Amino acid sequence: MERITIRFKVNGEDATVAVEPHWNLLRVLREELELTGAKEGCGAGECGACTVLVNGRAVNACLYPAVEADGAEVTTVEGLAGPGGELHPIQRAFVEKGAVQCGFCTPGMVLSAKALLDRMPLPSEEEIRTALAGNLCRCTGYAQIIEAVQAAAEELSR
Amino acid sequence: MAAKGFSYHRPTSLGEALALLADLGPGAVPVAGATDVWVNLRAGKLAPEALVSLRNVPELSGLRKTEHGLALGACVTHAEVEDDPWVAEHFPALHQACSGVGSRQVRNVATVGGNLCNAAPSADSAVGLLLYDAECRIETGIGHRDVPLTEFFAGPNRTVLGPGEVLAEIRLPLPAGRTFAGYRKITRRKAVELPMIGIGARVTLGADGRVAEARIALGVAGPTPLRVRKAEDRLEGELLTREAVAEAAEIAAQQAKVRDSWRGEAWYRREMIRVWIPRILDEAVLSRKG
Repeated sequence: MERITIRFKVNGEDATVAVEPHWNLLRVLREELELTGAKEGCGAGECGACTVLVNGRAVNACLYPAVEADGAEVTTVEGLAGPGGELHPIQRAFVEKGAVQCGFCTPGMVLSAKALLDRMPLPSEEEIRTALAGNLCRCTGYAQIIEAVQAAAEELSR
Repeated sequence: MAAKGFSYHRPTSLGEALALLADLGPGAVPVAGATDVWVNLRAGKLAPEALVSLRNVPELSGLRKTEHGLALGACVTHAEVEDDPWVAEHFPALHQACSGVGSRQVRNVATVGGNLCNAAPSADSAVGLLLYDAECRIETGIGHRDVPLTEFFAGPNRTVLGPGEVLAEIRLPLPAGRTFAGYRKITRRKAVELPMIGIGARVTLGADGRVAEARIALGVAGPTPLRVRKAEDRLEGELLTREAVAEAAEIAAQQAKVRDSWRGEAWYRREMIRVWIPRILDEAVLSRKG
């Protein structure tokens, strides 16, 4: 099948990729652009390990047709740290609260949290749980993750 | 990765989309948020020759609010409904139904029109829309036709859409009078779950204080999302008493064509209908007093 050229922004930089119609955004990010922060877990939109932001909204990159990224602004976990490599407040809170264990779910968790805090600066615990319900973690047990998002929300709102 | 071998088209107007579907023929599948289509491609359940993406068609986007009601472009996402306070106030059952679908990631792309066209018996948004007498505007390529949502579903995963036709808009009149409504999905876990049973209820009171309109709608209680007219009839013209609501709930529970499945057993589904129709209306009355 003929490839389609898409142009979009990833973490603020222009990207141009020729994609096949059946590729998903996750493949473009990981295989073509070597941004391996987003992970493939289930591949069916259940686990959230592939979560990235498209135009500021959290989406499952495994279910996002690559062609549809044309013209979009995509943010991956690689785009969160500052220019000197200093961690984003959400990332720092994850480290400080012990919200990272194996780390496989972390990029998706952090981006779901970012999308939430960008639209709702001081969410309730219930709102945090709802926003992260599509991100599965198999090792930390969620409590530390919720605490990390609360801590980041407080710091970012200060 | 999805199955290979299809072409991908991104029309930017409704006319272009309809023309593409007509040209490409029955091997072309319209796709909106792709959250169901992409999973089916990956699983090998769908092998289209072409996908025609509707997400860049401006005529299919946007929520339009008027004094008469709400018009939802078919490509409005569940998150757009979830984030809209006006919809939450005037169409709370639809708001609750859309807010509980999948995860935020899914709601950010999955569309209400897509949910209807997928025509799952469990479709949450369909139950919410049935409560509000939704009507579907179907673009045929040579014109359009309007179909009540009660007549849109033809069976499990089947609709009345013909080849090359596109669901363009869903219209809901504002209920005329004091209205209490809600939707509750019964699930085994709290999120990212299909309903074991989806339960919706609405009553709109007339000037005489009696129930002028009653709507009871269910998901996973038959081959399609459906209304239970006999339960509605029990309420219309009556005062909104606990006895009347309990009897309507009992009728709905008896009428529901529920089945045993791995997600839940028939008796439990029936029991939840019996329990939750009164609770939904209680909660709606209490929240309106707040």
